[in-house]
Amino acid sequence: MRKDITVAAAPRETRGKNAANRTRMAGQIPAVLYGAGGNSVAVSVSPKDLNKILHLSSGHNTIFDLDVTSVEKSPVMIIDWLYHPVTSRLLHVDLKRIDLTKKLRVMVPVHTTGEPHGVKIQGGAFEVINREIEIEVLPDDIPEAFTVDVAGMHVNQALRAGEVPLTGSMKLLSPADMVLAHVVSLKAETTEAAAADGAKAEPEVVKKGKKEDDKAAAPAADKGKKK
Amino acid sequence: MLMPKKVKYRKQQRGRRKGLAWRGSTLAFGDFGLKAMRVSYVTDRQIEAARIAMTRFIKRGGKIWIRIFPDKPITKKPQETRMGKGKGAPEGWVCIVRPGKILFEMEGVDQATAAEAMRLAAQKLPIPCKLVSREMTA
Repeated sequence: MRKDITVAAAPRETRGKNAANRTRMAGQIPAVLYGAGGNSVAVSVSPKDLNKILHLSSGHNTIFDLDVTSVEKSPVMIIDWLYHPVTSRLLHVDLKRIDLTKKLRVMVPVHTTGEPHGVKIQGGAFEVINREIEIEVLPDDIPEAFTVDVAGMHVNQALRAGEVPLTGSMKLLSPADMVLAHVVSLKAETTEAAAADGAKAEPEVVKKGKKEDDKAAAPAADKGKKK
Repeated sequence: MLMPKKVKYRKQQRGRRKGLAWRGSTLAFGDFGLKAMRVSYVTDRQIEAARIAMTRFIKRGGKIWIRIFPDKPITKKPQETRMGKGKGAPEGWVCIVRPGKILFEMEGVDQATAAEAMRLAAQKLPIPCKLVSREMTA
C-alpha cells in the first residue's frame, strides 16, 4: 500500500561493522537500497522513521519515498529488517526500489474474526497455523490484511489459503491447500504421564561402526606379528 | 523430563556460552512469548516446572510451545570424592540459553492471562525474563 511518507537518507561511504556501529551511535542505522535495475546504494537512515513505518497497519508492505541526498528519490519498500535480540532496537534494513507498473510478490497477513462454532458450542480449540499468505499484486493494490470470518467453523474444519477472497490484480502464490487456521478437539493434559517418565534412564549411546571392524582387524594383525 | 533419545557421546565438555541468541529470538508460533534476558544453563527440571506452572494457570483453552531443548549432558562427581579418577557421572540435561532466546510461546489466551502464566514460569527459571507479544514486535 502506497503512503505519502518521505524518509530522508544519506549515502554511506564507509563499510564494515565498526563503521556500522559508529552510524548507530550517531542515531542512524545502516541500510541498503537496491532493485528495479538500479545499482545498490549503501545509505544511513533514521530508525525512528522506519520503526513508525513497520508499526503502521500496512507494516512492511508500505510503499514510501526514500530521498537519498543528492543521489535519487524513489518509491521503496522494506524487504528485510534486523532487530537486536535483547533490546529490540532496529539494527539494519534492506530497502527495495519499487517499479509501480510491475507486479510484486508480497506476504500479506490474514486476520480472523468471530468465534468459531467449534469453540463456542463444541468445546474445541482454535489454532492459527500460518499468519500470512504470499500473493502477486500491483503495488497500488497491496492490501493491509485479509480478514476472514471463521464463525462458521466446526471441529476438525480448517481455513485454507485458497478460501481467502482475492480481488483486483491479486494472484495467490502460496499453495491453495495451505492451512491457515483450524479448530481441533482438546486433548486431556498428560502432566502425570510426563512426570512419571522423569526417572527415565540415560539415553541410548550411538555405537560406532568402527569397533567391530577394529576387533576383527586386531586378531589378524596379531597373527601376522607372530609369524 | 525432556532429554535426547539417542546421543553419540555420554559426556560433553562445557564449551563457551558467550554471545546473543540471534536465532530463535522472535515469536514463531504463538502470540506471546517469554524471552531470556541473560545467559544461563536451563535444566530439564526447570523447563518441566515452568511448563507445569503455565499449564496449571491457563487450565484449558490455550496452547504452549517449548522453544528450547536440553541436549547437553551435565556430569557431577559424587560427594566426598577426591579430585581425579576421571570425569563424573551424567547427572542431568541442560540447554544453553543466551540473551534474547524465546523460551516458551503461548496462544489462545488473553494478554493478562499470558502475562501471569509467563510470570509464574519465569519464577522457575534461573534468569530474568520478559514477556514479549506479537503486537510489540510487529
